[in-house]
Amino acid sequence: MRFHRVDLTEPTADSRLAELLEKERCEALVHAAFFKAPGVEREYMHELEVIGSLHVMNACAAAGVGRLVVISTAQTYGPHADNPGFLTEAHPLRPHAEAYSIQDRAELEGLLRVFSERHRGMNVVVLKPCGVMGPNADSLLVQHLSGAAVTTVMGFDPLMQFLHEEDLLHALQLALIQDVRGSFNLAGEGVLPLSTLLRLAGKRSVPVPHPMLYRLAYLPWLSRTGEVPAAFYDHLRFGWVVDTARAKTLLGFEPTYSTKEAWLSFVVSRRMRSYR
Amino acid sequence: MTQDGRYSAELQELRRSASELRESIQRTGNSTLKRVAEGATEAFRGTLEQLGAPELWLELQNLLRRLTNETEPAAVDGFGLDQEFLARWQPLLRFLYERWWRVQISGAQHLADEPRVLMVANRSGILPYDALMIAEAVEREHVRNRRPRFLTADWLVTRPFAQSWIPKLGGVRACPENAERLLLANEWVLAFPEGQKGALKPYRDRYRLQRFGRGGFVPLALRLNVPIIPVAVIGGEEVHPILYRADMARRWLGFPLPFTPTFPWLGPLGLLPLPSQWRIVFGEPLRWTGIDPERGEDPLFVNRIRDQIRLSIAEILAEELRGDRSRD
Repeated sequence: MRFHRVDLTEPTADSRLAELLEKERCEALVHAAFFKAPGVEREYMHELEVIGSLHVMNACAAAGVGRLVVISTAQTYGPHADNPGFLTEAHPLRPHAEAYSIQDRAELEGLLRVFSERHRGMNVVVLKPCGVMGPNADSLLVQHLSGAAVTTVMGFDPLMQFLHEEDLLHALQLALIQDVRGSFNLAGEGVLPLSTLLRLAGKRSVPVPHPMLYRLAYLPWLSRTGEVPAAFYDHLRFGWVVDTARAKTLLGFEPTYSTKEAWLSFVVSRRMRSYR
Repeated sequence: MTQDGRYSAELQELRRSASELRESIQRTGNSTLKRVAEGATEAFRGTLEQLGAPELWLELQNLLRRLTNETEPAAVDGFGLDQEFLARWQPLLRFLYERWWRVQISGAQHLADEPRVLMVANRSGILPYDALMIAEAVEREHVRNRRPRFLTADWLVTRPFAQSWIPKLGGVRACPENAERLLLANEWVLAFPEGQKGALKPYRDRYRLQRFGRGGFVPLALRLNVPIIPVAVIGGEEVHPILYRADMARRWLGFPLPFTPTFPWLGPLGLLPLPSQWRIVFGEPLRWTGIDPERGEDPLFVNRIRDQIRLSIAEILAEELRGDRSRD
């Protein structure tokens, strides 16, 4: 195994990457160079996640790589009051109007769709996991849910759906083997209301009415003292549950952990960490 | 990779820690809710004793005790129906059904033992009491006690508090994707095509059926070959008589603010329904034998069927209301 370092924000990252891919006779590429949570400067994030991904796509095409797997997120469907109970891959992407990192990811998915149509010889696969949970998972959702008391939106109890980190790896493995292309939603079996999840974990819920919550979250986020952007709370207000039928039939994906088990695995591992 | 022994050991470990967690939760309980509930039952005691119904107080106390009793969080289905939550509220639903509204049923012979059925009813009242009562009636009358899932309009199911309660009782946001998924999962589905227009119509328009949405339910039922049962509810219109509707409020609330004799004057208490006498009538099912599913694409045909169903409900309503002087 060899390790190469390429900065995707460089103007000529594409030709450098293409050179490397050709030299290594690369057959498949997994693109996962994304930030785990917003908080980085917006322009830089866009530069890396969208423009950097364009470099990756072009490099793959130039080097004749047969397969490109990109890890996006189910959040690109957006948390909306008018979402159907289960979102399929055919559902339009409506990322939250203020969640710019998710908007970037949705833009990237659009670019990948166009790219895939232009390069029919390449298997372009987009994995869209819902909230990833597990001992090593880290995301805005994970950070928000790891405290002993969790801020929730008063009067709302959305259905949540989680995927265990090992199942994500498993899906990644399948995406590298199976002859598939397109987007695949990934999630563990079952859904649970947020209140039930908190009760299972012995966490306290701190409900705040939503007009107040958004205002409270906005200023600290702007001044970079708060962790959570106001837009995030809509993910705790409306459901964004995905349908995984496509991953099951085409990819052969069978999650080992259910939503509940993935959540408990996360909770238990966090508990262990606090004893250390 | 999935069959790896390491996985199953880890899962067992997880289950063990899960049960430990659960015990710790049961120990702490939910003390605030308990205190509030106890205070409320005490406050009601005097009133109910004055009314000469001390047994009602016992019932209420029992109910609240069961509600605040922390148990293991139950699993929910994909749309959030929580069987345990429903079972906990069942005594209240039964009370509303048997005593508060004294529901009478006719046409129960039309509730055949079919895998899936789409029921279409007239909408009345602000909160989905009508849906809960129809669900209760079907569950009682059906041979295998099937309980239909009911579709609720966006403006209600996405409001604070409604959003956290209605799905647990079997409500699902009304949209074609959800209805299709439920029917494909062999559920009985109850729809209210009048939507908001029906729920928030003023009292003077009671039992006057509003336009039936865009009728998306007709092509869906035709495509899946699901029979449609028209349902008429009489009595629901009186539980929240809407005297005035402030359409201005739509700008802030997303729906027009209704004014009833009790709401919003009494705050949340004003949402309590008035006791009226209810009748639920199940009409003859509409079946699709000999109709080409392709005709679901034909808007004129769809509109005709939609109107046919609307008329059959209107007919039942008219027949039931005839001779009923109080509801003229």
